Amino acid sequence: MGTRYRKLKTAAELQRLMQAHYLEAQHLRLGRPVAWVTSGAPVEILRAMGILAVYPENYGALCGARHQAVALCRQAEAQGYSPDLCSYARTNLGTMLGGGEAPLGVLPRPNLLIACNNICGTVTKWYEAVAEHYSVPLFVLDAPFVHEQVEPHALDYVQQQLRELIRFVETTTRRRMRWERLQEVVDLSNETVNLWSEIRALCRARPSPLNVPDLFVNMAPIVVLRGTKRAVRFYRHLRDEVAQRVKDGVGAVSEERHRLLWDNIAMWHRLYRFYNTFAQHGACFVVDTYTGAWSQAVPGGDVLGGLAYAYATVLLNQSLQRRAEDMIRLVSEYNVDGFVMHNNRSCKPYSLGQFAIKRRVTEQSGVPGLVIEADMCDTRSFAPEAVNTRIQAFLEMLAAG
Amino acid sequence: MAGPCFLGIDIGSLTVKAVVLDAGRNLLARGVQPAGYGGQEAALSLVERLLAERHLSADDVVYSVVTGYGRVRFTDADEEVSEISCDARGVFHLCPRARTVIDIGGQDSKAIRLDASGRVVDFAMNDKCAAGTGRFLEVMAAALGVPVATVGDLALQSQHPVEISSTCTVFAESEVVSHIARGAARQDVAAGVHRAIAARVLGLAGRVGLEPQVVLVGGVAQNKGVVAALQRGAGEITVPEDPQVVGALGAALYAAQKGGR
Repeated sequence: MGTRYRKLKTAAELQRLMQAHYLEAQHLRLGRPVAWVTSGAPVEILRAMGILAVYPENYGALCGARHQAVALCRQAEAQGYSPDLCSYARTNLGTMLGGGEAPLGVLPRPNLLIACNNICGTVTKWYEAVAEHYSVPLFVLDAPFVHEQVEPHALDYVQQQLRELIRFVETTTRRRMRWERLQEVVDLSNETVNLWSEIRALCRARPSPLNVPDLFVNMAPIVVLRGTKRAVRFYRHLRDEVAQRVKDGVGAVSEERHRLLWDNIAMWHRLYRFYNTFAQHGACFVVDTYTGAWSQAVPGGDVLGGLAYAYATVLLNQSLQRRAEDMIRLVSEYNVDGFVMHNNRSCKPYSLGQFAIKRRVTEQSGVPGLVIEADMCDTRSFAPEAVNTRIQAFLEMLAAG
Repeated sequence: MAGPCFLGIDIGSLTVKAVVLDAGRNLLARGVQPAGYGGQEAALSLVERLLAERHLSADDVVYSVVTGYGRVRFTDADEEVSEISCDARGVFHLCPRARTVIDIGGQDSKAIRLDASGRVVDFAMNDKCAAGTGRFLEVMAAALGVPVATVGDLALQSQHPVEISSTCTVFAESEVVSHIARGAARQDVAAGVHRAIAARVLGLAGRVGLEPQVVLVGGVAQNKGVVAALQRGAGEITVPEDPQVVGALGAALYAAQKGGR
């Protein structure tokens, strides 16, 4: 039996960094307007204009990890929101409408809202509800779905909206865009993203220095603090620690026997417990698709053109074909023996089509896959016994192969 | 008649099953009994009864394997193995040409894909839902006012099966009740229920593909109405002689492998 979880030395630094972010948003705004933004919004523009960005999705994950999401979801459901709605949305709406117990106080009241539909369609309606509740302006950035290749006219369309976004922020907050500052922020953003890519790539080592819960926990700054010096500093430390593990041959899981690939968002409510079941059998998730969604840098050249490209082509805005190809590539690059897909009741764009992807990946890479039905935050959609049986059968299958 | 033997136990949600094999993997005894509360005591008394039948003692059991939903809490076996692996092992032992296994049990149904050597290469299980399970059939039989053991035969008499559109057991039950209230013939409602189960199970099996030979096991495989409804949608389906104990047989085969000489 493998040992459980090998803690990273940078864990304390990560915790300080994230706490400082939420405290700053609550108490140290120094006159800066607060924007609520979706995870796929072009935050670099906001940073360059001195806007403080907070992420309800990240906060939802935090509520999930602290087992406070279900109570907040119930608040939203009591107001008429469907239990089929995304649990990040329900958690956020629940905090907004009903209040109740929520971690680190609550999110600070927004002055403006930016929603980009490159991750899902839910965010547009969710943010409309928020806009109505707080009577604050909302900007919706429309990123057309990429069916095969991203079309030049789609990029022009997104870029044009980025200009509108800048005008929107200028009018709403009376803050000016500082273009040289935007380039600095984009450079910092790219540095962060490149460090994150480097950290993920280090997991090609055998044994892998990290297991996917490590990636999930450590992805918070790449989402929330991308484009800041603090994030760059943190990821340098993390990269050094992970590189050292590789050098010393230290694995995240002792006696790594099976190398696995994870698809979809984490189950925040049982992050370590869930993956320990695998770790105890020497199964390590060496790579995943989700945290890889933040490993694409903004291309050089015209800064708005680069941002348009980066945000129009995020993972969930791409075809199933492309997502299957991505997984097949990861299977070979990371020497993966099997993959597990979280059929996440909350995240429709990520979860619909998983069976088709699974078939394609197994056909082309020869490795088996398992689909687990659950939810990222809502524990009511999780049946532990049923899931354990599937995991056990999958591990038996891998051991027999 | 004493001698080394191997024991497989399958603790399901509705019944417990056990199989005893001799050193040559021949069947010495098999049994099924209602699970009662949790199935643990039922499993112990069933094993005791089977061993006594063949004049064996607990000391003769060289190795034992437990499977099924109650396996985790059952501490009297040497090892626990998942139902998927046990089903596959049991079916492949009986039908070496099997490539697809469908198991419809009390609270879940599963579809398993095997390769030519009997190895599990893929599987799918129903999730958080009783539709397409033995429990669904029990609820519907009760709504129809017939014993679950004969509801399948009743369905076979139908000329005009009704449509049961709900996939949820609770909603399907109220649908059945409304069909009855509207005066539908009992056998037609029963046939509709069986088709609904088959549709659900075939949807699940479609995830692993229905490569022949398709073998149906589990308690519900004893129901001729379900078999007929499945054959209607999927063609030839083989049901082994004693389909309910195939998981326990697989567990006993694992036991024979682990403890065998």
